[in-house]
Amino acid sequence: MSVPWSLTAAAWPSGQVPADPGGPWLPQAAAPGGADCLVANDWICGAYLRTRSHELLAATVQHLGITAASVALGLLIAFPLALLARRRRAVAGAVLGLTTVLYTIPSLAMFALLTPVFGVSVAVVITGLVLYSLTILVRNILAGLDAVPAEVREAARGMGYGPARMLFGVELPLALPAVVAGIRIATVSTVAMTTIGSVVGFGGLGNLIASGLQGFFKAEVLTASVLCVLLAVAADLLLMAVQRMLTPWTRPRAGSRSGGRRTRATKAVA
Amino acid sequence: MSSTSRGARTALAAGTVAALAATLAACGGQSLEDKGAAHGKGGGKGEIVVGSAVFTESKVLAQMYSKLLGAAGYDARIQTLDNRELYEPALEKGQIDVVPEYASTLAEFLNAKTNGAKAKPVASGDIDKTVTALKKLAGPRGLKVLPAGAAADQNAFAVTTEFAAKHKLKTLSDLGASGQKVTLAAGEECETRPFCKPGLERTYGISVAGIDPKGVGSPSSKQAVKDGTDQVVLTTTTDATLDNFGLVLLTDDKKLQNADNVLPVVNAKSAGDKGIEAALGKLTDVLTTKDLITLNRKVDAERLKPEEVAQTYLEAKGLLKK
Repeated sequence: MSVPWSLTAAAWPSGQVPADPGGPWLPQAAAPGGADCLVANDWICGAYLRTRSHELLAATVQHLGITAASVALGLLIAFPLALLARRRRAVAGAVLGLTTVLYTIPSLAMFALLTPVFGVSVAVVITGLVLYSLTILVRNILAGLDAVPAEVREAARGMGYGPARMLFGVELPLALPAVVAGIRIATVSTVAMTTIGSVVGFGGLGNLIASGLQGFFKAEVLTASVLCVLLAVAADLLLMAVQRMLTPWTRPRAGSRSGGRRTRATKAVA
Repeated sequence: MSSTSRGARTALAAGTVAALAATLAACGGQSLEDKGAAHGKGGGKGEIVVGSAVFTESKVLAQMYSKLLGAAGYDARIQTLDNRELYEPALEKGQIDVVPEYASTLAEFLNAKTNGAKAKPVASGDIDKTVTALKKLAGPRGLKVLPAGAAADQNAFAVTTEFAAKHKLKTLSDLGASGQKVTLAAGEECETRPFCKPGLERTYGISVAGIDPKGVGSPSSKQAVKDGTDQVVLTTTTDATLDNFGLVLLTDDKKLQNADNVLPVVNAKSAGDKGIEAALGKLTDVLTTKDLITLNRKVDAERLKPEEVAQTYLEAKGLLKK
């Protein structure tokens, strides 16, 4: 069979199309100047940002949602697991071993394996990411709790602290820097791994990266990748600010003790 | 540490946890609802999920299917899945309802799935026989194959214009006659697929020195041929970016390639009704291979959005009101 390769943009196979190719076919590209970088396939392209702002926003929102849900769920599961591991050392080996084994499953395979279970839904991606976050979170929570000095625990017990009050009033606040460090690593790695969710169509910015790679669309690949990096950095800074606010005693003391500190912390979050 | 500030911090921490939990509940709840809805609509009419692979042509076809179904009164949405290995099982289960497919490729995919990887090929250059074979394989899996149209996206081989001019090549037979030893940029499976290396050697007498597994029609494959690392690239007849790489197709003059005509495949239970067949049939009847090339070009070269390209095409063909 022969296929004419030198088809011009206007060469429609039938006469049903209006003769002016610029009219119906170039809804945005018709704008003078700006669209050149789209056709030239430049890495950086303002016209891409202008014409795709909606899909970029939608992808970013999906990315954030998947990441937030995954880390939050991961934390909810990792916390009891870490407590369990701390209570019984026999369980600790099993929990740490299992979460580490989960971490080694290739992500492409993970999503493909979970699809028959959950169908084609965002649950596939979130479940995969939660499983990946567990090894980081459990280990960090456990390390944080283990690092609480025995004397502090004893003192608290001496003051009549029960197990629950001890955990939430003494141990957890002291473990917080390690716990938050774990959450930060988990969050940054989850932001990156969310992109792989594109295999089932729920990859946030990953959907755009995959589509851009497939279609050799440089602006799409670069823009989505840069947004992904920015998301990771922003999430990391936000968590760092939250930690500084929650654990004022870990900061070197500067200025007055009460007033100044709180304003600074508020600023950091805002 | 004063007890008030500690109380404030505890409250703050509790608030953060509560906020996280709320976000989580919102996200989780939504996803579960989506899933529930997707399952609920399995037997009903109303919502139809159009499956799309990640490459341009599939995206444009899925957009057109979705728009036509929308115009016919269905509540259509598009779900992108990476590849056939993922979307075909989802289509069988009714998690997606309609997929734009290719007769031969799907026939061989189902053939391998049913009869093993070494099964005798069922697809050929004859579209009617291929569709008959496809229907036989798809039926038991709960898939309904709708009629095929004239538009086809076949495998095809391309070389650089310089290479073609130098050796006076227009067809694959010319390449065989030229006696050139070539390396082929394609997928790994090219080694064994009858339409690829074995077919080139047997049918056309082309000496394939080796296969460079850079993917079928991928930018890196085309770049490799442009740079002269490889001489021939396996791509498709509707590839719209060949010009950008200075490549030309060699005609498949001995009909080595199978009849890969575009056709809609639906889940028989969730999308087997006449309304869907009629809505999609309108497109199948008018779509041509040339149209596919032009549509691909609009997206891959001019960088218009698949959604707009689909809309404009359907309007131009009078299938959709402006």
